[in-house]
Amino acid sequence: MSDRLRPARTEVLAVDVGGTFTDVLLVRGRSVVRAEKVVTDVRRPEQALQRWEPEQAHRRPPDWVHATTLATNALLGQSNLPLPRVALVTTAGFRDVIEIGRQNRPSLYDLSFVRPVPLIARQRRFEVRERTDAVGRRTLPLRPRELAGLGRALRSCHAESVAVGFLHSYLNDRNERLAGRYLRGKFPFVSLSSEVAPEPREFERFSTVAVNATLLPILSEYAGRLERAHERRGGTALAWMSSAGGLVTSREVRKKPVVALESGPAAGVIAAAALSRRLGLSRTISFDMGGTTAKAGTVVDGRVQSVPELEVGGRTHHGRPARGTGYPVRFPFLDLAEVSAGGGTIITRDRSGGLAIGPTSAGASPGPACYGRGGRRATLTDASLVLGWIGASMLGGRMPLNAAAATRALSVLGVPVAVAESALRLAELEMARAIRLVTVERGLDPARFVLLAFGGAGPQHAALVAEELGIRRVVVPPRPGLFSALGLLYADWRFEARRTFPKELRSACESLRRELRAGRPGWRTEFTADCRYRGQGSELTVPFRVPDEESVHASFRRLHRSTFGFTLDRTVEVVTLHAFAMKNRSKPHLPAAGGTGRASGRRRAVLGGRRWTIRTLDRATLDRRAQVEGPAVIEEFDSTTLIPPAWVARLGPAGELELQGPVR
Amino acid sequence: MTDQWSLVAKATEFVAEEMGVALRRSALSPNIRERMDHSCAVLDLDGRIVAQAEHIPVHLGSFRVGARNVLDWIQRVSLELGPRDMLVFNDPYVSGTHLNDVTVLAPIGTGRHQQGWVITKAHHVDVGGPVPGSLNPDARTLDEEGLVIPPTVVDASSDWGRTPLGQAMGANFREPDTAHGDLAAQFAANRRGIAGVKALQERFGIQGVADGWRGSIDHGRALTQQGLSRISRRSVTASDALEGNGALWPIRVSLAVSGRGVRADFAGSHDAVPAPLNAVFGVTYSATAFAVRCVLPGAVPTNEGFYGCLDVRAPLGTIVNPRTPAAVSGGNVETAQRVADVMLRAFARLLPRRMPAASAGTMMNLMMGGVRRDGRRWAYYETIGGGSGGRPNSGGVSGVHTNMTNTLNTPIEVAEHEYPLEFLEYRLRTHSGGTGRHRGGDGIVRAFRVTAPTTVSILGDRFRLRPWGLRGGGSGYPARVIVTRSGQPETWSGRARSDLRAGDSVRLETPGGGGYGARASRIRAGARRRTKSPHIKKAVRRRSFQKLLDGVPVDDG
Repeated sequence: MSDRLRPARTEVLAVDVGGTFTDVLLVRGRSVVRAEKVVTDVRRPEQALQRWEPEQAHRRPPDWVHATTLATNALLGQSNLPLPRVALVTTAGFRDVIEIGRQNRPSLYDLSFVRPVPLIARQRRFEVRERTDAVGRRTLPLRPRELAGLGRALRSCHAESVAVGFLHSYLNDRNERLAGRYLRGKFPFVSLSSEVAPEPREFERFSTVAVNATLLPILSEYAGRLERAHERRGGTALAWMSSAGGLVTSREVRKKPVVALESGPAAGVIAAAALSRRLGLSRTISFDMGGTTAKAGTVVDGRVQSVPELEVGGRTHHGRPARGTGYPVRFPFLDLAEVSAGGGTIITRDRSGGLAIGPTSAGASPGPACYGRGGRRATLTDASLVLGWIGASMLGGRMPLNAAAATRALSVLGVPVAVAESALRLAELEMARAIRLVTVERGLDPARFVLLAFGGAGPQHAALVAEELGIRRVVVPPRPGLFSALGLLYADWRFEARRTFPKELRSACESLRRELRAGRPGWRTEFTADCRYRGQGSELTVPFRVPDEESVHASFRRLHRSTFGFTLDRTVEVVTLHAFAMKNRSKPHLPAAGGTGRASGRRRAVLGGRRWTIRTLDRATLDRRAQVEGPAVIEEFDSTTLIPPAWVARLGPAGELELQGPVR
Repeated sequence: MTDQWSLVAKATEFVAEEMGVALRRSALSPNIRERMDHSCAVLDLDGRIVAQAEHIPVHLGSFRVGARNVLDWIQRVSLELGPRDMLVFNDPYVSGTHLNDVTVLAPIGTGRHQQGWVITKAHHVDVGGPVPGSLNPDARTLDEEGLVIPPTVVDASSDWGRTPLGQAMGANFREPDTAHGDLAAQFAANRRGIAGVKALQERFGIQGVADGWRGSIDHGRALTQQGLSRISRRSVTASDALEGNGALWPIRVSLAVSGRGVRADFAGSHDAVPAPLNAVFGVTYSATAFAVRCVLPGAVPTNEGFYGCLDVRAPLGTIVNPRTPAAVSGGNVETAQRVADVMLRAFARLLPRRMPAASAGTMMNLMMGGVRRDGRRWAYYETIGGGSGGRPNSGGVSGVHTNMTNTLNTPIEVAEHEYPLEFLEYRLRTHSGGTGRHRGGDGIVRAFRVTAPTTVSILGDRFRLRPWGLRGGGSGYPARVIVTRSGQPETWSGRARSDLRAGDSVRLETPGGGGYGARASRIRAGARRRTKSPHIKKAVRRRSFQKLLDGVPVDDG
């Protein structure tokens, strides 16, 4: 995708280890030469890699790019990995900060509410006498005597990994570093809050360091195994996708495993960003709808939008994270809104007859009723089938669908066609809602975006979701089911470092730049500043390249006006300064669309409350110059694109499908 | 399409939620942006709530009462609002909540084309009066609490600070620019709501939206009535009390549930008091609505369909429905908790194996303020959670906001950065939860030193009357506040105020929740599981202490 072609026919193996499936892609030069989906072996996920020996012995082994949900799943206890015994060392008087959290409960009216169990139990939380004040003065230096007693206590509770979190260590990390130096001589895994997340707000920082310390032994071991396996094959480059959507080294993951927490979902947005740049789109919404959820992220001027914090293992409410349901981690995460609306999402009626979708999903097994694998409850896929939006088979005809079973399941809820239409419209409304939130929260108007749809079910709903949002242009890449994994190959190297409350912007930027560039000659540096008016409690992120205080403040004021509609006559302050060292990688072409093996034809469908006879076309054999007018569907190996009435579709230069909506 | 109303209903819920996003993202005060002490709603033309995004339950029903009051007032004075006009007010006897909650109402469309209203409410950190934070523990009447704003029309597009109301607020509020910023955020939220409903009108037509709203209200009513039909149709009574000056101020309810709705009658509650613990009717209504919401299974939309099933009666002139100008600031935060306790206790008699023991029952309001070195005044307000009550199947939760509040605490690092405070301790108050088969959650200990002269006020309850246990469970520890001045510790009561000097310190301990079920069985069960557990010894040790403290019995009607 980049203009800089590398001559060498290097091979890159991209592996996205999900909770259920592992996606593997092999790229030679700039072409995808193999793609596969295998079931994940949770205990030894790297097995998937080992089957991919280089085809010829003399060939240089491929570079590896890796994304995994292992970190998140381990934390949630989903992979049956025993969590290590972690201890916390903290300022005297503040042992319970990680248990009290922010004092809120996750649901208002649930008398049997629970909060997440603290990652570190109280008997493994230790206090030491030390203190730094709110301007960074050490009012009570950490004494060696405190440390000696601490070492004994930690050993007696059999701590395998130690987290250190002191108050105000983001301003002055001296006491933490003293503790760190002592502990690192005695314990293999030590995480300091000032290293992992040097930002104010004690609960969030301590929680981040607790998560880091919990993951450290697990990911360190896993990454080590992976590195050894790679080296045995003579491999040299092993990269991990970070939650921020860039690539980092395996060494970085072993030091700071929180960087790899949400690496899987990030890949889809990165792929969308890369395609947006290629197509010259300035504002894109990535819309990824699969079997259980739909996820939406935004790309503005080729830049992915991120959030400074995520609650790992948390639940969502209207597509946005619900506070107090998970473990907060302060790290730049790609901002994704997620709703439980996927092909397998189950349609229900509540006690008084209101139609509802989700959050339960039929998953891959038993799956929708029409799969004929024992699923009896109606899902969104069943609704699509009954309405004629998808054809009578999937995966290029390899998987026939049972329309009678779908109709039967829907008829439990009412007149099948009416229920199917209402359910899909509800799903589209939910998805549009999630997309509105990721844009409106930033003061962006969704109607000015292009919707880039992928995932197995995304292209089917894209145009209707777009209509809901006033969007007129939709782009569908070839092989939508594979597109997310492609993101691993589109990502660039990206390392992050930060400073809180920098006294002087220019010198802080310089020192961050030096820190990041050590050993990385020729890398680019970019900055973002989390700014606010003095007295405000939330920050807006301002990207910049030139460290000039005035221009950063001016950008903040512009952003504040566009986001909130007003500015204030107050001082602007930079709370956290992030620097990113970046280096581009060469990127593969989009793969060609896979065919359905079915000839073009017509079928009956219901759309917008009306019955139509719609055209069905095979994407693989679609004429480059053809204009397909809706209502129609364009089918391919792993997806179906629905073109509603008044919409027009044609193929674009990169093999992408372009949908244009009517002028309103 | 037959299910069209559910599309309109869902979309309207989203509009309310989006208003909250707009408000929270642009507000200045930590109360709103960090503690989420705000709510937004969409009302139909008759002031019936169609969709509401509430973040703390105390706002649950007060919107309904407040909207009725203010729409009546609009009709009485035959007010016509222009497209840019909004109505600002905080008069508790109109808004149905205390002075700090400034409410802003705006019409969706004007004249014949008006579809309904949008309304936002946000807790402003200071609305004037003698005490920073405006929750004056010594107030006897409303005018000792802060500036009262009757419904006032403002042009929301004008330079707000220069309007007469803006100037009056600037002269009375301790942090005028914060208040202006927060109000600007409320205006922005209302504008977002209006735009959202207008977008719905474009898609579904005015009639379509109105039909959808009606459908959604009908649906809410049906869900509520179905939920209630599972509760036995009896009439029960319950009581609990607030701690008055030397005496107890009881609150009583007689509760009757039928398939059509709930009737809660607070006759027999104490008369209005010369203290800031009177709950305006909106607050009593909210706490009642909260308890009913908690016993309804599953999700019920917060709209008129639900509210319409509630019949709340509180005799005028009582502590749960005072006459103006009784002081009301603590009604929202303390009396509301007790009304919820009484309601939940009554439900415990109808649903004995579903309801938890009492939770902390106080928000432990802490108000502080002073003058900065540069001469600007500062005000700080926080509430502190406690233990939740033990439950039929599990122990209570420790260190959490319960029942009528669910705000986020202000991080210590943020508070120390902005105010002259140095925190000494912030931890769980170990073993403060009531004993029992399922223990109550533990309260919180929060201690700090002031590093500059500071006025500190406390408004709390449950200092003597402890959170009750249920079905044999022990009660939780009561609250305690120790203020150390010039090295001399003194124990404070629930309503106190004092000027501290630099170096003085305050230690607050919040109550634990009540326990559920008799303790003996717990010890046996525990002994079977882990014979060596140190907790058992502690539990036994605590028993004698517990007996000592198991205080003032409160008769159950």
